[in-house]
Amino acid sequence: MHSSHHASFWIAVLVGIASGSIGPFILLRRMALVGDALSHVALPGIALALLYRVDPFYGVIVFLTVAAVLIFWLEGNSRLPPDAIVGLLFTASLAVGILIIPNGDIIESLFGAFPVLSLSFLLVILCVATVLSVLCFVFARRFLFRIVSPDLASVHGLGRKYDLALLLIFAMTVALGIKLVGTLLMGALTIIPAAVAKNVARSMRGYVVVSALLGGAISVGGMWMADAFRLLPGPSIVLFGVGLFVLSLIIGLKRAV
Amino acid sequence: MNENAILTVEALSVTLDAVQILRNVSFTVKQGEALAVIGPNGAGKTSLFRALLGLIPYEGSVRWRAGTRIEYVPQRFSVERSAPITALEFCLLKSPGFWRPPAAFVDHVHDEIALMGLDRGILKKNLGELSGGQTQRLLIAWALLQQPGVLLLDEPTAGVDAGFEDTIYSLIRRIQAERGTTVLLISHDLSVVYRYAKDVLCLNTSVICQGSPQDVLNPAGLAALYGDTGYYRHDPNVKH
Repeated sequence: MHSSHHASFWIAVLVGIASGSIGPFILLRRMALVGDALSHVALPGIALALLYRVDPFYGVIVFLTVAAVLIFWLEGNSRLPPDAIVGLLFTASLAVGILIIPNGDIIESLFGAFPVLSLSFLLVILCVATVLSVLCFVFARRFLFRIVSPDLASVHGLGRKYDLALLLIFAMTVALGIKLVGTLLMGALTIIPAAVAKNVARSMRGYVVVSALLGGAISVGGMWMADAFRLLPGPSIVLFGVGLFVLSLIIGLKRAV
Repeated sequence: MNENAILTVEALSVTLDAVQILRNVSFTVKQGEALAVIGPNGAGKTSLFRALLGLIPYEGSVRWRAGTRIEYVPQRFSVERSAPITALEFCLLKSPGFWRPPAAFVDHVHDEIALMGLDRGILKKNLGELSGGQTQRLLIAWALLQQPGVLLLDEPTAGVDAGFEDTIYSLIRRIQAERGTTVLLISHDLSVVYRYAKDVLCLNTSVICQGSPQDVLNPAGLAALYGDTGYYRHDPNVKH
């Protein structure tokens, strides 16, 4: 592995863990599809950033934060089912992104690449990923309370701001992984570890821990696969994760019998 | 505000989506009292509770005695049955430590679930694995954690068979007697209301009547509440 691969390895481990830590809460809120679509919003962000010669990362952050706040607002104020609106809006943003993004950058933006980063930028990504993972564990009780019963949580002083916090952590996690995994598949990286862990976990605390570890393992495993077979990292990571999911399903079924 | 009152509601109105759910509702609840709220479907009973808890916007005033701890047992959870959340973890939502709960809190959980007639073994089970009766008992035990001054129960025996129902109400009454807990209860079952509540609030958008079960639960009162045809005729000798 040359230096870019070392950087990718560390991003894979820490962003993978962050994805795995937030995933269970997204899945239990039945937002798996919304989460998946959320990463598509990053594409017009990348396109605009490229157009104005800014690092695409900043375009991604801005667009994903806005999208997270939008989902939060829709949940609270719209009578229409949020998933329908999110599906339309986010697919539209994918279309817009594809139209304005330069041809040479499309594949990398959609499916990720082994990123070339400055050391300071790499460190920022790694630190933020660590902070996001820690936040998931610190806020686990509050996030779960809001999921089990928003009413009871409100009675206990845990209002909707924790729903927003969850979405923002989620959006930030997606933003961190997009360079490596790509806009089309990064949402999936947050969902897959949680989906695998749900098949084997017996408790919520176990669920979050197993999902976090799996997030790291799936990312690194997928990276190794991409490196060994000269594939794109994004699809490799996702396929590696889906393989594990099928395995966990069989284990889960066997246990249920 | 009445000296004894733990809750004073004055001219409470709730409008949701341009539909008036509650109109000009006023009543007081004394400390340690058991108030039953009855009324037909869509009468605004659950909305009344949600307004009392500040979960929905309302006009008028809702005043709880300062420092009152209020606990609420809703009709249902929003979590899916397959979620890997254990009964203990559900209780730990109220704990100061979720990942490493203090031993004193776990002991407290054991005491409260034992009071509700539940075995410690159920704490390891997932919420989705519990029977209807176990879930209701767990919900009430959960509500009793940290000793609330007021308990709001929204049909606590919905989906529970009749034997369980009596047990649950006996337990609620015992807790009320031992701890002086004030109980507000929504129920469809008039025989339960007759036996357990000291005061009844008949609600159908506005307050139709209020008083002791003996005064309120008579054919004329029930006709006024449920309508002349097909109302729920109450006979204390018949168990519904």
